[in-house]
Parts: sequence; C-alpha cells; structure tokens
Amino acid sequence: MSDFKSMIPMFWPGGPLEAARQNKSAGSSENAGEVSGRWNRPEALRLLDGTPINALVIPWAAGLPEDAEQQKTSLPLAEAAKKRGLTVLGWVEKAADPRPAAAAAKSAGLSGIIATAFPGQADVPVLACSGRDGVPWDAPGSVLVLTENVWPGVSMAAGGQDSSSGPTAAPWLDSNGWFVQMACARISAPVWLSFDPPGKGEIVPPQSYSSAICDSEIAGGRWIISLDARLRADLLAGLDTAQKTWKEICAAAAFFEKRSEWKTFASRGEMGVLSDFSRDNFDFGGEILNLMARRDLLFRVLWKSQVTARSFEGLKAMVYADKEKPAPALREKLIDFVQQGGLLLAGYGWGPEGRPLEPEFMTQYELRSLGKGRLAVAREEIPDPYQVAVDAQLLLSHRHDLMKIFNGSSSGCNRFLISPDGNRCVLQTLSYASSFNGRREGALRTVWVRDACRSAKVWTIGAEPEILAAEPSDHFEGMEFHLPARALQPFVALEYEMESRRQV
Amino acid sequence: MKLDRREFMAGISTAGASLTRTEPAPGRLPTGPVAIARCRDYGEEFLSRTATMFDQLGGLGRLVKGKTVTIKINLTGSTATRMDHTPAGRAFWNHPRTVGAVIHLLDKAGARRIRVVEGAWTWGASLEEFMWKAAWNPKLLYGAAPRVELINTNIAYKGSKPYTRFPVPQGGHLFPAFDLNSAYAETDVLVSMTKLKEHATAGVTLSIKNYFGITPTTIYGNKVPLDRPSLVPYGGRNEIGHAGSRQPPSSSPPEKDPTSPRDAGYRIPRFIADLAAAVPMHLQLIEGIETIAGAELPRGPLTAFIQPGLLVAGTNCVSTDAVATAVMGFDPMAPKGTAPFEGCDNTLLLAQELGVGTCDLKQIEVIGVPIKEALFNFRQYGGPRFQRMRPEGRPGRKS
Repeated sequence: MSDFKSMIPMFWPGGPLEAARQNKSAGSSENAGEVSGRWNRPEALRLLDGTPINALVIPWAAGLPEDAEQQKTSLPLAEAAKKRGLTVLGWVEKAADPRPAAAAAKSAGLSGIIATAFPGQADVPVLACSGRDGVPWDAPGSVLVLTENVWPGVSMAAGGQDSSSGPTAAPWLDSNGWFVQMACARISAPVWLSFDPPGKGEIVPPQSYSSAICDSEIAGGRWIISLDARLRADLLAGLDTAQKTWKEICAAAAFFEKRSEWKTFASRGEMGVLSDFSRDNFDFGGEILNLMARRDLLFRVLWKSQVTARSFEGLKAMVYADKEKPAPALREKLIDFVQQGGLLLAGYGWGPEGRPLEPEFMTQYELRSLGKGRLAVAREEIPDPYQVAVDAQLLLSHRHDLMKIFNGSSSGCNRFLISPDGNRCVLQTLSYASSFNGRREGALRTVWVRDACRSAKVWTIGAEPEILAAEPSDHFEGMEFHLPARALQPFVALEYEMESRRQV
Repeated sequence: MKLDRREFMAGISTAGASLTRTEPAPGRLPTGPVAIARCRDYGEEFLSRTATMFDQLGGLGRLVKGKTVTIKINLTGSTATRMDHTPAGRAFWNHPRTVGAVIHLLDKAGARRIRVVEGAWTWGASLEEFMWKAAWNPKLLYGAAPRVELINTNIAYKGSKPYTRFPVPQGGHLFPAFDLNSAYAETDVLVSMTKLKEHATAGVTLSIKNYFGITPTTIYGNKVPLDRPSLVPYGGRNEIGHAGSRQPPSSSPPEKDPTSPRDAGYRIPRFIADLAAAVPMHLQLIEGIETIAGAELPRGPLTAFIQPGLLVAGTNCVSTDAVATAVMGFDPMAPKGTAPFEGCDNTLLLAQELGVGTCDLKQIEVIGVPIKEALFNFRQYGGPRFQRMRPEGRPGRKS
C-alpha cells in the first residue's frame, strides 16, 4: 500500500448502496439512482485525470441486502482504479459485519477497509474509524479516520437566514480544527476526517469546499473529499459551474499536499491545555480547545499520558483541564512550572499553595502568586469552559501575543507554526466569512508578528507565492505584513525566516 | 478652590476656573471659544500646535492645576479593525501619540492626577489589556507623565463605589439620569479626545458622541440582567442604546417614555445629548490630522481615508462640535434629513435644547484658522453617494 501521508482520499459514492442511501434521504433528486450507477462505472474515473486525488474510498458494506450487489458491481471500478495507480479502500458502516467485508475486499483486490472495529486478524489492512467519543487512540493502523465532524463554516440558525451567535454575540463558527489538533498531538499516524457537505440539493459554493479542506489541513489532518449529490450529477453532465468547483477543490488539495512539510512544524502556542481528554474530561477540555481557537488563542495540546520533562518547554501558561487531581509526580511538575514563572489555571480544590493576588478583571479564578509565577484556582467545581478560555487569554495577557491579524474577519482557524530547526515560521489563517472573497474596501488584511523578520512568502491557493517585505509596526514593537488585495481570500499563509533562530 | 463642574459648564463659576469664558447673558446659551489649527503629524507638530491652542483658549494651567483630570479617549469598535492597512489610530481612533502628548501637557500644566478612560465595546478586562490587544503600547501613556491611570469604565469602578448616578438637567430627552462608572464622578476636569469623523447613525461623531462610550456595558450593554448590573459585559450597546428593545436593569433609571420611537436615528442623538447635559465636559480636542470620511468605522465603499490636517479644540462641547461640523463641510444647525443628519436628528440642536451650549456659529468665537480656510468637505470623499461606487470611482485623497 502507498504512503498514507501523501495520500489524498476521496469518497466515491456509487453503486447500489449509495442509491439506497439517496432514496432514504429527503430532497434527493429523481435521477439519484442513475447518477449513483454512473459514478460506479470505470469511465467516471476520467474525472480524476490531472488531479492530485490518489485514493478512493468506496461504499463497501452497510449491513444491508445491497452489500453483495455493491461489492459485485464495484469490481470493474476498483480494477480500473488500480490500473490508474489509485489506492482503493472499502468503507464499512458500523452496522455491517467487518469480517466478510474484509474477506470480500481481499478477493476484490482492495487495498484495505475502513471500519469502526475489527475483531481478530483481518485479511486486508484495516484503517480504524471512530466517532469523537471513545477514539481508539492506540489502535494499530496506518491512518485514523474520524467521523462525527462538522461542515466548517459560519453556523446558520434554523432556516438558514441568519448566523447563530456564540457567547460573545459573534457568529458561531463550526470547525473541526481543535479536534484534529488534539488527535495529531496524540498519534503520529495521519488523521483523516469524514464528513459530507450540508444541504438538500442546494449548491454548495466552491469556497465552502475549499474551507472544508483548509480547516482540516491547517490543523494537521486531511479531509476525505466528499462531493454533494448535486455536484456529482452536474459533473457527470459536464456543467461549467461544476467543473469550476471541482477545479477549486483539486487546487486546494494539491496546495496542501505540496506543502506537506508544514505538517512537521510545531505549534507556537504558548498556552498548553493538559488533559487525558477522556469521558467528561474530553467534553470539558475539548470545549476549551474549541473556544480558545475561536478567540485566536494559540494553544498546544498536552496529553496527560505523554507528558515528559520537556513537554512544558516554551509554554508561558497552562490549563489543567481534568476534573481529577493530577498524580503526585505530575502535580510536582506543574508546581515547578509555576515556580519557574509560568501561569497555571487549575481546577477547584487544587490546594492551598501561593499568596493571594488581586486580579485586574472579573475572573472565575482565585489568583495567587507562587514563586516566580501565578496560580489561578477555579472558584467553582465546574467552571464555564467559555470563561476558562477568556480568563486564560487575559491572564496570559495580550502583551505576549506572537501574532495579530487585522481585518481577519471571523476566523476561528489560525495556526502559527515553527519548523523543527527553529528557523522558519508559517502562519495559516482561514476566514469563514462568506463575503471574504474578493476586494472589499477598507478590508485589506495586516498580519503583525512579534518576530524579527525581513520578508515573507504570501501563499494563496492557486497562485504563485508573493514576496512581501516586512515593515516595522507603527508605535508598537514587531513587524507587519500588509497583505495585497490579491490575498483577500478565505485562506492565506505567510512563511518567513526568522532573523534569529528560536528554540523549538 | 473646588470647582463645581456643572457650574463650570454653565459658565456661572468664577472666571479664574475656566480657560477663557464669557458668561452668557441672561437667556443666552453658554458658549466658549473654539481654536482651529493645521497639523500634519502626530509628533512634535501636534504637541506644539495643541499647546498653542490650549494657550489660545486661556491656558491649561488655570483649568487643571492641582486637579484630577480625566481624558475620555475614543477606541470604538473591535481591536482587529483597520482601514485597509492603516492602523486605527490614524483612521478612526485617537492616535496613541496624541493621547501621550495631551497627558504630557496636562502634567506640565500641573494636573495632580491624570486618568485615561474608555468603555470599549464589550471589553470587560483592563483598558491596558485592550490596548495590548489592539497593538497600542500603554507604556507610551504611562511614560508621558507620572500618576497616569488607565480605567475601563465599562465595568464597576474599583474605588469608593462602583457606579454614580448623573441626573440630566431639565429631565433629559430620553433618559432622566444615567448610572456611570464612578471615575466620572471622581474627576475635576473632563477632557473629550476624539477623531474628526462622520457617523453612520448620528451624522457626526465628535466630542459629544464620544460620550456614548462612557455608559458602562454592565448596565447599558446587551444581555445585562433585568434587576442589576452584570459583573462583566455581554455585548455592545445596541439593545438599550440603538434599538430600545429593552430597558436598563431596574437598578438604574429607565427611559422617560418607552413608547417613543425605537429608531436609532431618533434615539442615539437624544441619548448622547442627555449624556452631554448630565456629565459636564470641560475641554474638547478633536483631531483630524488623518481620519476617514463617510462613517465612524470602515464601512466598505461608504468610507475613505482622508488627511484633512486639522485640529479643533474648545471648552464648550456643543460649540466645539458645531465648529468641527462646519469644518467638515456641514451646517451644524441642519435639521434631520439634511447632510450629515440624513437619517437622524441633530445631536447639537438637541444638546442646545438642554442648555448645554450653542451651536449657532454666529455666537461662537473662533480662534486661529478661520472656518472657511479650514473647510474640508468630507462628502467629497465618503458618504451615502459612494455606497455603490467601486474604489476607482472615488476622487483622489487630499493631503
């Protein structure tokens, strides 16, 4: 099987199982069955000519009577795909028995199956697949496939007319980025995300597809590209609008694959979130990550099971997010972190250490000084995770910000990374605002960074990079990059060399 | 001698307490001289021009010596907004160097304590932290003089009592009184510093409109409790200020007439006129070195970055704003429906009705550059007629 790290997978929904699924879903078109049939034919693979897509995920078993017919009718497609050098993986639904599905995959020559669980030894490679609850983090496999994801974008209220609001009255954003970051901090295997476009027949704009790719890639994961039923039908019909959307999807996928090196870079977040992320701790710790991302607070995920003496290096602050008190050895490490000048936000009933401090703002934490650092202990047993994110950011203070984006417009997905040698930085930002596509007067973006640097490459999808000179900030420290109108796109990345090497 | 601020405002205190004040004749509205100057940069030129203007108004020392001086600055909107690449301080906020310069001048004139205050949008942490977030360096302000404090007046005051009630003389148009952060009560001299700008809802935003931000969002902000101030802000001032969709908590005075129009163009001018009457303002400094035309914040093609190169200062907020409005190319006594008040009532006339001051240019002494020489027609660059215009359709910037 090919190297999964360079694999760009796409869900290829043809055949009887897809037709059955379409028949069950409201709003499916009258010709859904015909479209599913045509997508299951080898000729449909011509769509992949000249594209970066190199892996197909085909429906394989769903625990339905159509399973056998699906596997039989998919054979020509699988054969043709293999001849094209594509990896073919069978998707096995939770309701299906994975053992016969694996056996059928082996006889059909598939590269493997994606299944939620597999008892015993399989005849073909099995890629573990899981929802967000109870992820088998230690399962063997070359890839971890995550389900129960959201379609990234501004969350719309019922009826789709207005965006719904978050706690700050700012629009609520759906993003999988925090969860992908959490997963990538836990395992070294590639993380794939499975989710489908929204809607019941309406057109999903190209920007929305690009955002789905960017949201996963920025965080370090990869989306199993999945086209909506209408786009699939329109592509078969050769409609120009569908071709345009398809080209944009492929351009976005190719962009990130060409820059896969960025996935080896480390987060520059100076705020750590430490948890075992299991059960209730996942709900609480995960929500903190989600809300920190909304506030553009750069964070680093710290899995309790993997904490070492070096884990806290480079951190200025940390949230200990678990309900349970830490084991004595970990507690000692955390106290030492504070003594050395760090800030620790700890849960209710942490302990009596430290001398009281007067906070500068209303916070749900009791603030204390301890050694060279500060200890913030929750006043209540179950703090509000939104307020944890707010308090963490304010207690850390914006005076330590490493970057700022002006006119960023409803971003919830910024990542600031540093190369393993500490010489190069990459800032990736994605705006979900639907209007953020093309020139809007007064809205050109400025990126401020604290680092000393001279110039940056500005990357947008589908264009050559532009070299931009850094300018000293007006009456403030740091440097600024004034992004040109051409970069007024939902996704933009800046890559620059640092004047002095940073310790990673 | 302790200066009573309301007396000062009405021009009936001792002459020694004011800059240069002519006591109004019986039946006439208060006024004060207004100085206009040209200024092209935020550094030395701003410092020297401002010092000259304050001298022209009668001398800063006579007003501030030995006093607690509070500077209400204007940091409207979010910390992440710019006019394209132009920082907020050059486009629609005060520039940090101008605030630093004024602090320096106040200190030099003998101010005992200088406080910089603002109630920025929904901000609930310290004003210093807001500045850090916005890429302002608060050290610039702290370093301009000893005894400088930064106070976020969105939230409860940390001193003697959290909020103080400010009744509106003559009852007010919209509210009979306001509950404000007690920093506004614990001051002897209040200075309003702002940009020379238009406003999408209120026509112009000058020294009086700057007062909209003195209302704490723990009381006048969205989603506050029904019976008491919130501990932290939950939103901006739309619900109670613009829309009138709800009243402040029952712990604060409600509107006089909840059946009055719920239109922001009716409400906001009255809201701020009431504030101007309730909270005396002693000195105004309106900076138009650079600014935007068309609105108070970047609003697409409506707005354009401009460089009028002007400063306006005065001691009566209505008169100062009237002169500034005239400098922008508008009639300060224009009725609703006339530029710049196309969609709203005229705040200046409403404040005049409350006896705060006159906006009749004939009654106002202008010092320095005459209005007709300072005239900078904002509507040549921004405003409603540019709503649908692409950038290339806009005339060039004046500099």
